Amino acid sequence: MAQLKIVLFVCNWGPHAAFQTLQDAGASIPPEVRMIRIPCTGRMSKSLLFRAFEMGADGVALVGCEPGACRYGSGTEVAERNVEDMRGILDLLGLGGDRLRQAMFLPEESDALLAFLQDFCKVIETIGKSPVIPAIQEEPVAADKDALAVLLTRHDILACQDCGKCSSACPVTLAGKPFSPRMLAGAVIAGDAGSESTRNNVWSCLTCGLCYDRCPSAVDFPGFIRDMRSVLKAAGVSGCEAHEGFFQSCMRTMTSPTLAVRKWRWLPEDIRLDPNGKRLFWGGCAPYFDMYFKAHLGIQTRDILVDSLRLLNFFDIFPALLDGERCCGHDLLWSGDRKNFLKLARLNVDAIERQGIEEVITACPECYRALSHDYPEQGIAVPFKVTHIFDLVDAEISKGAVGFDRLDRHLTFQDPCRLSRLEGRPDLPRKLLDRLNADGFTEMQDRGVSALCCGNCAWVGCDSFTKSLQVKRLRQAKATGGDLLVTACPKCQIHLRCAMEDPFIAHEIQMETMDLTSIVARTIRWE
Amino acid sequence: MTSQSLKKEILITGFGGQGIVLAGQIVGKAASLGDHLESTLTQSYGPEARGGACSAHVIISDSFIHFPYVRHPDILVCMSQGGFDKFRHLLKETSTLITDQDLVHPGDVVCGDVFAVPATRMAEELGRKMMANIVMTGFFTAVTQAISFESAQRMVAASVPKGTETLNLSAFGKGHDFGVATLKGRRKKIEAVRGATA
Repeated sequence: MAQLKIVLFVCNWGPHAAFQTLQDAGASIPPEVRMIRIPCTGRMSKSLLFRAFEMGADGVALVGCEPGACRYGSGTEVAERNVEDMRGILDLLGLGGDRLRQAMFLPEESDALLAFLQDFCKVIETIGKSPVIPAIQEEPVAADKDALAVLLTRHDILACQDCGKCSSACPVTLAGKPFSPRMLAGAVIAGDAGSESTRNNVWSCLTCGLCYDRCPSAVDFPGFIRDMRSVLKAAGVSGCEAHEGFFQSCMRTMTSPTLAVRKWRWLPEDIRLDPNGKRLFWGGCAPYFDMYFKAHLGIQTRDILVDSLRLLNFFDIFPALLDGERCCGHDLLWSGDRKNFLKLARLNVDAIERQGIEEVITACPECYRALSHDYPEQGIAVPFKVTHIFDLVDAEISKGAVGFDRLDRHLTFQDPCRLSRLEGRPDLPRKLLDRLNADGFTEMQDRGVSALCCGNCAWVGCDSFTKSLQVKRLRQAKATGGDLLVTACPKCQIHLRCAMEDPFIAHEIQMETMDLTSIVARTIRWE
Repeated sequence: MTSQSLKKEILITGFGGQGIVLAGQIVGKAASLGDHLESTLTQSYGPEARGGACSAHVIISDSFIHFPYVRHPDILVCMSQGGFDKFRHLLKETSTLITDQDLVHPGDVVCGDVFAVPATRMAEELGRKMMANIVMTGFFTAVTQAISFESAQRMVAASVPKGTETLNLSAFGKGHDFGVATLKGRRKKIEAVRGATA
């Protein structure tokens, strides 16, 4: 058996002295342990902690100071919170939360530190080696002219007439960022793909697709950006991943074939499932989001999954679940990591096929888009039908004998870009909205295929401009006079709720949000 | 078939022109040609069939039928208020009453079971109001199970004007789905299940 890898992060201030004492005394520190000295355990963000696991660590110990002894005051508390959230995520991923442990030692407690390390090594030995296969760092390949020329023709960029309709619609441009789709297209055509401004602009785009909708020459700008990101990533240019790339790390980790993800262990017991069913409910990443944003937003996007399943049960549909369900890979594809996207896609399609599934039902617009559209487009054949839960629910309601309880709220709706614009189906959620028995429903100024983005896509490029875009969107929502903002994508909810935390204008833009699936599930009734 | 005599008297009523008689024909033919039972159809004709209340008497049985008129319907289908008013006194305590939800208001009525379906509205949504009878036939098939789904479907396709089969079959399917959903809703109510989360 290969030697275990245990990473020990030690705070500079307290326990590092203890570790040094052990080293000076020649104590038998387990050889698996590799020590990394850090300034404070509170600075080890969730993504940094996770990065160690992504790179193949079998165990990670975060050793800092006692809560009262922290040099910076709140470091230990922050670390405790991060470790707790990370352990939850490791459990979901099937790695096991026990692989991450936090401890606190004073400088003179070297014996206790040694005992801790020996004990932790034993624990990791019983859990065994991590199934994660670290991604091999490839030598960067400079973006060659031919590859770019292929992209220009594939997405019809040369058809750009420089008319400017894209810039006048682009939400990023309108938020004041020096960015314009057509300028970027022009720069790449002119052979300026390597310049810094071009590189930055490739990561500024939200890939919301509004420019594609407006373009009289049908230049597929979002598709172009997606492939440009791939080319730039391969050339070693780092992307502007939000949350320090945590979610991308998480997805890359899931490409390890032997990783046994444990996605569904938390489900309430009243959900009825049929493990041998031919219909599969595909959840998406909501449980990870909830764990990650627990301390920050307190969101509960996994309620969408529970409500979806309850809704299916309501119609006597008992779906199967894939316990080892991995991420669909949508965000990897759209943040320039096509190689790992393909790995995920193959693993997912194989797992679904092995279970003999004929239809996959999902409530996430991005999973829907990826499974039904991106997989075949990227060369992964999909031998099953993909259905958005709205389609299924609408068909079931059309059969009749179903009504809705009164909902004393005035609604407005945030379109998910993947469903409303890229898949061109803005009427689908509206069919359900019309059926609800609410006080009223008012559309926002920009809606349907013209709707404004929630501010981010594929966890890329969150900045002050996207924040101002979100504020603009929330002001539009407020202007409808509604009191419940309905969303249809967990990410819209996360991003808009984040913008509502603004300390200066929170009172102006705060609004309750709820997912459409949840509203339907909570008000639907047999008549 | 069980050895017990299976006999169902079915009375379908409505305005002249709603396709009442065609619905009766489909039900009767589905029973005899499709399900291999005996059936008779007696239709009212005369002035009432030209705008007034019209009716089709269908009897389905597994043995010989000696008398072709409905005396006390086991199933009364009403597609107009006039038809309902004219025949309501025939209802037994065990009868099933099926009405077009938007056209008939039965008020207090003593019978075994009452079902309502917005057949005309559903036919309008499909683009042709005149298919209300086919929607009703689909609903009838689902809730009474007097005839089998397959035979009814085959008879609909064989009885409607050429070229309209697909549309009529979708109307039939819609009525049938509504019937299945209605039964499901009632079952859930008995199980005290109301919504998805409660």
